[in-house]
Amino acid sequence: MTYLTRSEVEGVLGGPAETVRPNRIVVTTPPNRTRSALQAATSQLACDHLVQIAVIDTGQEFEIVYVLTGAHRTLLSIRTRLPREAPRIRSVHDLLPPAGIYERQIHDLFGITFEGHPNLRRIILNEDWPEGEYPLRKDWTMDPAKSYGGGTKEVS
Amino acid sequence: MKASQQLVSWARRKSPWIILFNSGACNACDIEVLAGLTPRFDIERLGIQAKGTPRHADILIVTGPVTRKQASRLRMIHDQMPDPKYVLAMGACGAMGGVFKGLYHVMDGVASVVPVDVYIAGCPPRPDEIIDGIVKILDLMEQDMAHGGKEWRTKPEAVPEPSEVPP
Repeated sequence: MTYLTRSEVEGVLGGPAETVRPNRIVVTTPPNRTRSALQAATSQLACDHLVQIAVIDTGQEFEIVYVLTGAHRTLLSIRTRLPREAPRIRSVHDLLPPAGIYERQIHDLFGITFEGHPNLRRIILNEDWPEGEYPLRKDWTMDPAKSYGGGTKEVS
Repeated sequence: MKASQQLVSWARRKSPWIILFNSGACNACDIEVLAGLTPRFDIERLGIQAKGTPRHADILIVTGPVTRKQASRLRMIHDQMPDPKYVLAMGACGAMGGVFKGLYHVMDGVASVVPVDVYIAGCPPRPDEIIDGIVKILDLMEQDMAHGGKEWRTKPEAVPEPSEVPP
């Protein structure tokens, strides 16, 4: 199989695509069209493998990048931007089952809500971590007066 | 001391059993302990055996800075060990968090979760330093037995002199 071409991707996904390397194509979509773009990529472009979901905190907004690949070995990145206040996006756990666990981790560390996720619980932080603290956000700092959990401090 | 107790404490000093607990270390400390078990250092010739359960162990070797998620688990493992139990904190991370100090997910050292008897410095410590740390714990065991417990090592609360207390 050969790599996907830019025109192929643009034809299926509609939006303008960018070839950053011979085997890497990046498409930027608005948040409300991300799910349909992922659906089209999995069904029509044979991108059946989710490599990762990356989140970038640029300071002004969150960028979510879904990196997909398939037997054609092209890395297709579908990028979307969310506002920093109350960031929420539709979950894709039903299209790509491995996405569910990435979404839980992103929810835990960045506080992005994935609508329609059946089990958006803590996965990576300790169970008694305070609510509303998202340590991987760029503006987050530790408050020395606050308890971040980790069990009782009973030293004999 | 009864003869049976004397026999048990003699056996404990002659063959201390250890358990290794990784509380979020990078594995360098762990492989150094395992290197100690290999023929070059062969700590088993000193009777030191690595055990699979805390219920059989006398010495708990903790590696890593203790992540917040591991803290309650480490406490639970420490509570399961039979008395007298000794804790050995390994490496820079075990002492005060090492390179992870101050991060959002660590407790900064083993001593913030369980009482530590001996620290080993190094990143990671060499196997001979680990053996040295265990031998230091054996000395502590002997002294604790002579004093009838670990209390003699804890510093008493500072009580101010009556003349220093304002009226």
